[in-house]
Amino acid sequence: MTDAAPPATSAPPRSLPLWANPRIGLVVLLTALVALFATLRPGFLNTYLTLVPLQADISVYVVVGLAQLAVLSLGHMNMAVGRMAAFSAFAAGLVHDRFDVSLPVALLAGMAAAGLLGALAGLIITATGVNSFVVTLALDFALIGLVSLLYAEFTPGVAFAGQPDGMAQMRADTFADYCVGDVCGPPIPLQVPFALVAVLLVGLVFRWSRVGREVLMVGANEKAAKLSGIPVRARIIQAHALSGVLAGLAGFLLAASNGAFSASIGDGFLLPSFLAPVLGGTLLVGGAVSVLGTVLGTAIVQVIYKGLNLLQFQVDELKLYIGLILLLALSLDRVRHVVAEKRGVPA
Amino acid sequence: MTAAETLTAQPVAAPRRGWRRTVRGSEFTLVTIALIGFVALTVATDGNMLTAGTLAAFFRFLAVPMVIGLAQMTVLAIGQMNLSVGVLTGFCAMVSAWLMLAAGWPAVLAVPGALLLGALVGLVNGILVVRTRINAFIVTLATMTIVDGLRYGVNGPRTYQDYSPGLQRLGQASVLGIPVVFIVAVLVAVAVWLFFARTVAGRHLLASGGSPFAARLSGVSNDRSILVAHTVSGLLAGVAAVLTLAQSGSVNATIGDDLLLPSFAAPIIGGVALAGGVVSVLGTSVAAFIVRLVDVTQAQFGINRRWVDLIVGAVVLGAVLVGAVRQRLSRRSS
Repeated sequence: MTDAAPPATSAPPRSLPLWANPRIGLVVLLTALVALFATLRPGFLNTYLTLVPLQADISVYVVVGLAQLAVLSLGHMNMAVGRMAAFSAFAAGLVHDRFDVSLPVALLAGMAAAGLLGALAGLIITATGVNSFVVTLALDFALIGLVSLLYAEFTPGVAFAGQPDGMAQMRADTFADYCVGDVCGPPIPLQVPFALVAVLLVGLVFRWSRVGREVLMVGANEKAAKLSGIPVRARIIQAHALSGVLAGLAGFLLAASNGAFSASIGDGFLLPSFLAPVLGGTLLVGGAVSVLGTVLGTAIVQVIYKGLNLLQFQVDELKLYIGLILLLALSLDRVRHVVAEKRGVPA
Repeated sequence: MTAAETLTAQPVAAPRRGWRRTVRGSEFTLVTIALIGFVALTVATDGNMLTAGTLAAFFRFLAVPMVIGLAQMTVLAIGQMNLSVGVLTGFCAMVSAWLMLAAGWPAVLAVPGALLLGALVGLVNGILVVRTRINAFIVTLATMTIVDGLRYGVNGPRTYQDYSPGLQRLGQASVLGIPVVFIVAVLVAVAVWLFFARTVAGRHLLASGGSPFAARLSGVSNDRSILVAHTVSGLLAGVAAVLTLAQSGSVNATIGDDLLLPSFAAPIIGGVALAGGVVSVLGTSVAAFIVRLVDVTQAQFGINRRWVDLIVGAVVLGAVLVGAVRQRLSRRSS
């Protein structure tokens, strides 16, 4: 949890016993789940039927989680994360459709469009002082309407017919399809490096960059941050813009997985966007984030989905178990916290 | 004046300044907007709005959004959120229909059953929040997922219909041209208003929402406030479920999917603060009315359904901006 907490908590990390580190618990849980599903269904370890799609899903939802984490760092929320992704996919599809641009340009256009939306949300929040929940909720409402109207206007239906060169490969290929001589890559889908770069960049921003540290300080105590000369407004806008950019990337990755820029992209992003960071130990109050925890949280949720799917559970049962596991994980985290407090160790 | 009353700092208006306060209040603005909108729509449709059928349909489908807005408002009063209201409405409706069809209960028993179930799930939400000390947003996010699963579990994707001719007749019935379901919704709104304005539990809720610390010092149990708020919220979701059962001839597991965002829109447009401590039953109800106006405009003019979401989003943002400006002005003038 203290992955990137402000340096003010100067308790030496040595005093943290292993059991008090929430991420160890997540790794144990993840390993146990994989072992459980592999025992129940040996097909769970099948590379092409399970592991490759699983990695693609994890890639998409890690980025979704990071998009939420970017504003959770402030103690804010982004309820429009799914619709920002939808808008990004629309923008990417539109520039490709009209100007026939290549894949990287379409991706950048999408991320920029979503980033601007995020910045707009941040701007409204700082200008009015209204709760981020309300602002992004209203933005979500407006975008639900806008995105469908735009698709109706610019496409024959609810999706762009064409897609940039390379999208199809992103969907179907893994690195195993690319060989140099006799040496081929591992069976890892092409979305993974995108997510990896996002994870590294967000991690670096919140741990080492001045802007990231200042965002966390604003999240920890806005007044103190302001008094210390941190440009609070700019940091809030930047954090929301980062959230938008990441949501945009997630929208693009999902479009690549689905094989089309369509209006339904981002519909199911809201719940997972909170699940992953919260399971990973990021607090809603702001001031501390855990990027690694978000990755582990996403992996756990997706492993559960995939595993229960293989065991032929129905959708409703899936939801039931995901909810129960979330509650259980959070309660255990609470127990861990209380025990740690009693022993006088910072958890 | 009790400690709780002073703490909530509800505008206990001095009688002399009452009128001016009313005019300046956000509720007055909302009522004005609602009336102007209604008149404008009537003129624009050549009086079509005032025909008995259209008017009855207008109010019949106002009932559920109103009650669901109040359900959210009750939890907002203590500065928390309830993400599970929408799916809970669907779950209660499905269980109630199951009780009538599969278990053979009469509607007289199945209706209280739905209310009880709603209150029970709300109570569980409250207990989880109190026991685990986890943010209510996260707790209800988890219970939303769970209840969503349970909702589908009742009857899968299949539809229940013809569960109770009596209840469905009541849903279509009108008294003096006003649909019964809307009258029920108004009665519920009055009850919620009485709860917050006149009962000790309601005042305690507002005290806890306004300042938990001060409330505790004045002997108010914040934990009990949390339990009460979530239970009432669940109960109101149960009411919304019964209204849904009555007004629509069939229910399936998608009931409630489109209620979560409106449940926030109504109180927020109505001027309820997310921080807690302030509620406005009239504002929430009138806001639901305004959203319904947008809905009907779309239907009357055959506009793309999607414009409604866009406009409602813009209205919520507009209401928020107006609120911020108003606050700044009143701060300057005082």
